[in-house]
Amino acid sequence: MFPKLDPLLHSELRLAVMSILAGVESADFTYLKAQTGATAGNLSVQIDKLSAAGYITVEKGFKGKMPCTTCRITPEGLEAFGNYVKALQEYLR
Amino acid sequence: MELNNEMTAQESLRIITETMNNNRLDITRRSGKHFLLWGALLTFFSLLVYALWKTTDNAVWNNLWFAMPVIGFGLARLLENKAKEPRPQNTISRIVGGIWGTFGIFACLISLFTVLYTLLDKSANPIGQIVVGASLTAQIVLLFGMAEAASGIALKNWAIRIAGFVTGIGGVILYYVTGVGKEQMFLFTLAGIVLFVTGLIVKNQHK
Repeated sequence: MFPKLDPLLHSELRLAVMSILAGVESADFTYLKAQTGATAGNLSVQIDKLSAAGYITVEKGFKGKMPCTTCRITPEGLEAFGNYVKALQEYLR
Repeated sequence: MELNNEMTAQESLRIITETMNNNRLDITRRSGKHFLLWGALLTFFSLLVYALWKTTDNAVWNNLWFAMPVIGFGLARLLENKAKEPRPQNTISRIVGGIWGTFGIFACLISLFTVLYTLLDKSANPIGQIVVGASLTAQIVLLFGMAEAASGIALKNWAIRIAGFVTGIGGVILYYVTGVGKEQMFLFTLAGIVLFVTGLIVKNQHK
């Protein structure tokens, strides 16, 4: 029997965001937007969903006079991401 | 990139692999600008010190080296702040940054100690005699080669690894073969060029 895929991660943009955050200490919104090629509105919505699930933390601050949103993956997020990849591997066996 | 919940397992894995790879390569490539900056600075300072030393026939111009880290860190900070997208850190960029940060600290401290020691009574400090007795230039070039080779290992790049060994070990040999005159500054010019070329390799290797 195949393991169930985490529906929160089984979306292209959220998966891309998690893949980026899994490899870095933190990344700000503009970097994530550039790397994923997503629109600001769509990215913002998906980041909120990941944050609400406790998969990432979102820190809003300022860099100089410019607002800056920094995202960081949480240990729960990292575990969920790992489980998602393991589940995918089961599907592909 | 839009929402799509109808992804197959293959598509999901492809997104993960591509995104992680692109992100890792992008961060690594961006770290190349620091090599370019420090390579240019090293080349400039070595030629400046050589020119002043030669013109005045006074080795005191070597103290100008202490201005290099001040200017370098200032410029590096400026570059980071001016970047349109702040660069996140990954394991590779953190390791490479750590290697060169450690090199910088060692090079500054050993230089500072040598300068301070020469101002003091040499006979009162036997450890200092050993340090001053050995060539500061040779020590720094060797440290530089180690940092360069270690960066090559972290970046998985053979050209940078070999450049590190050649600069470090070759530089020391060249120093003892050619003597201790003001021409030793050209070893730093060579190291600066090696660093600059490393920056170009890092920036272009994944394009």
